[in-house]
Amino acid sequence: MVGSKKAWISSFVMVGGVLLFFYLPILILMIFSFNDSRSLTSWAGFSLRWYEELFSSRDVASAVGTTFIVAIISTLVSTFVGTLTAIGLSKSKKIVKDVVNSLNNLPILNPEIVTAIGLMLLFSAMNIPRGYITLLLAHISFSIPYVILTILPKLRSLDPNLAEAAMDLGATPWQALVKVIVPQITPGILSGALIAFTMSFDDFVISYFVTGGGVKNISILVYTMSRRINPSINALSTLMVLVITIVLIIINVIPMLNKKERIPIE
Amino acid sequence: MKLYRSFVQPYLFWMSILIVVPMLLIVFYAFTTSGNDIISFRFTLDNFLKFGEPIFLRVLLRSLSIALTTTVISIIIGYPVAYFIAQANEKNQTLLIMLVTIPMWINMLVRTYAWIGILSENGIINNIMTGLGLPTLNLMYTDFAVILGMVYNFLPFMILSIYTVLAKLDKALINASYDLGANKTQTFMKVVLPLSVPGIISGITLVFLPAVSTFVIPKFLGGGNYVLIGNLIETQFITVGEWNFGSAISMIMASVIMLSMFITKRFDQDLEERQSRKEVG
Amino acid sequence: MKKIIGLLLMTLLVAGGLSACSPKETLHVFSWGVYIDEDLIREFENEHNVRVIYDEFASNEEMYTRLLSGEQYDVLVPSDYTIERLVQENLLQRLDLSKIPNRSNLIPQLVGLPHDPQGQYSMPYFWGNVGLVYNMNKVSVDDLEAQGWEILRNPTYAGRVYFYDSERDAFMIALKALGYSVNTTNEAEIQEAYEWLLQMDATMNVVYVTDEIIDSMIAGNKDIAVMYSGDAVYVQIENEEMGYYVPEQGSNTWVDAMVIPSNARNVDLAHKWINFMLSHEAALANTIEVAYTTPIQSVFDEVTAEGGDYADYLDSYVPRLDNPLDEAFRYNNEIKKLLSDLYTLVKAQ
Repeated sequence: MVGSKKAWISSFVMVGGVLLFFYLPILILMIFSFNDSRSLTSWAGFSLRWYEELFSSRDVASAVGTTFIVAIISTLVSTFVGTLTAIGLSKSKKIVKDVVNSLNNLPILNPEIVTAIGLMLLFSAMNIPRGYITLLLAHISFSIPYVILTILPKLRSLDPNLAEAAMDLGATPWQALVKVIVPQITPGILSGALIAFTMSFDDFVISYFVTGGGVKNISILVYTMSRRINPSINALSTLMVLVITIVLIIINVIPMLNKKERIPIE
Repeated sequence: MKLYRSFVQPYLFWMSILIVVPMLLIVFYAFTTSGNDIISFRFTLDNFLKFGEPIFLRVLLRSLSIALTTTVISIIIGYPVAYFIAQANEKNQTLLIMLVTIPMWINMLVRTYAWIGILSENGIINNIMTGLGLPTLNLMYTDFAVILGMVYNFLPFMILSIYTVLAKLDKALINASYDLGANKTQTFMKVVLPLSVPGIISGITLVFLPAVSTFVIPKFLGGGNYVLIGNLIETQFITVGEWNFGSAISMIMASVIMLSMFITKRFDQDLEERQSRKEVG
Repeated sequence: MKKIIGLLLMTLLVAGGLSACSPKETLHVFSWGVYIDEDLIREFENEHNVRVIYDEFASNEEMYTRLLSGEQYDVLVPSDYTIERLVQENLLQRLDLSKIPNRSNLIPQLVGLPHDPQGQYSMPYFWGNVGLVYNMNKVSVDDLEAQGWEILRNPTYAGRVYFYDSERDAFMIALKALGYSVNTTNEAEIQEAYEWLLQMDATMNVVYVTDEIIDSMIAGNKDIAVMYSGDAVYVQIENEEMGYYVPEQGSNTWVDAMVIPSNARNVDLAHKWINFMLSHEAALANTIEVAYTTPIQSVFDEVTAEGGDYADYLDSYVPRLDNPLDEAFRYNNEIKKLLSDLYTLVKAQ
């Protein structure tokens, strides 16, 4: 697939162009977070005032805190429940599998706004006060299907007899679960957990409809703040971009480091 | 094994409350009319009939056409990009895909908000235009702005879907095609493209669905009078308080989406059938 | 497995602990966006050792829907006609006037208005009217004086108009342009107003925005905007090219006031908040920060006097009280539903 130089240049331009399209608006956003004036478009000098305003805002602190706490708790719960359910599913009868799989598809295939209003109607009908609790319930309920979806394929590729063998050798079902099955699907579990965390962290539509009592996450904060020109949003976004980039780099670099360590052992 | 099977039960219970009941509630609200009290209600088709008014049908059509345009643009741009990335050597591929993925992790609101400063009358683009002595462009609050916002947000999904399939393509097939005398174009049209269709289909699902139902992008970039079906639902629930009408609209939107997905899947199956017939015949 | 369970339990304990760790009383306030000097919130919290949850809404309709969906608030700040509605529907409780001594500071004309004749349910917070903010270099004052609200349908200005996204104000403008009352129950007149709006929407390429309008007009993005007088003051301060004009055909004079819902939990604290907002210091801080017209007499006198903060902006800061065509909104259940539906149709064009 060497092709002519022209083809190589045009493909380079195309991919480069698209990447530029992706990153320019974000770069502009980040640059103007350091703008000395309120404007998003004309540069008045370098300043950290928007970061100061960001850090001194109680609203922002509480929204960031809410986002993290909800993401962490919903990730832990949904990963735990999702893993156990997936394991259970893999040993279940076909009809159970079909039912659960089709129902699981509902929150995945449904547009977010439909899931959101469904949950809002539910919480209203059950008279659950809207706030932290409804936020958590909602996040857990849309995360578990993704966790199950991620882990099931890994379970299918497992040798079904291993757990039985362990139990024949005297292990209790729990021990077989923890010491045999789980270690083999750990990459799947971690993937599922990561997906659950991301979905919760980034969620806007569902959170917007089910929350109440002043409880906001970062997305809702940006939504309400953006009615007025507010470079604090730029500052918040810049920080988020930096954190994400660092996390992604770490995630991609660590496996490479691990590989390097294993080679000498072999 | 019985112990393991029992793990499914708590989740079944959970699911029926948090996944099934909400959907039933939407159907219930759609077919009834009342205040927001559950006690007093009566069954009616009024909510659906209300949607039959030309205005609302126009909103639905507008949403579908914008979503379709976004999807088509995403395919036109996304396919070549995915293709070229798949051609690169392995190290570059990982790097390029990571570069495509990073924006996806950034909050959708932030990504949409970023365009406000660029497209508005005193935004970056118009600043450049005035700097060059050219007349300013009216970009904000237009179809263009909304489609641009949608493509910006959803293109990475299309690229990733197509790339995933292209990257797994068996190189042996392509080499076999060359060995049999086909040139690059023919190989692409008859081998690569057909095999990559599943990627395109899943990309369409990942782009069309959110594009039809989003309300944030039209709100930020289209202005208050740019009403797509997602905006309609949002105002009915949050501002107007007409939960019944809102539920009916949601059902209509969900059905339209399911129909389009069904058609797309059938298209995919048709293609496969035709291909296998060709191979046999 | 044990590790996972242990981790889970720990997190739940921590989360539970964190939420139990607010033994302070909380006051839940629901008000407009950018409508308060945030330092006042902190001042109130420190003085009474409480926590204030300050939530914001963008329209009366949104506030009403949120209230009805079961959310619990202690203080709301709706507009006059919505207060009328809440009173009619028994959703507010009577104020204990003995706990609000600062009400003696109020501008007399703002007490006993039709939406709350005995002043039992509400205490004014800000007031003003609705008018046109216009670029003095680009819009002719003659056009404004000759056409009034009709200038919003003047093709000369097509594509250069911002409209405030509010159903009440939209119909107010159309009805006033046609010479009708904003509180008309005559369906034919409302239909005419609806068509007026449709025609404007079809020919003028108008943009509907809410708070974005403020920064956009400061940046001079368009030449004419329908705005609340308080926002107009702010725009005029930040952009000297902007003027404010209220058509002679009449406009809406409005009052936003603090009320306590029937299901409020911290009624006593809510009274303290209201009284605090009516104090000279708090009202002064608020009007300086937000630029809306204060209802407190002593503050009003101070900022409009020679050398006062708003002495140069009297045309927008001081709503006129002498035009008989200026009306307050009244609440009417059936008409409200009709207006709602029609407005949805206008925007969906």
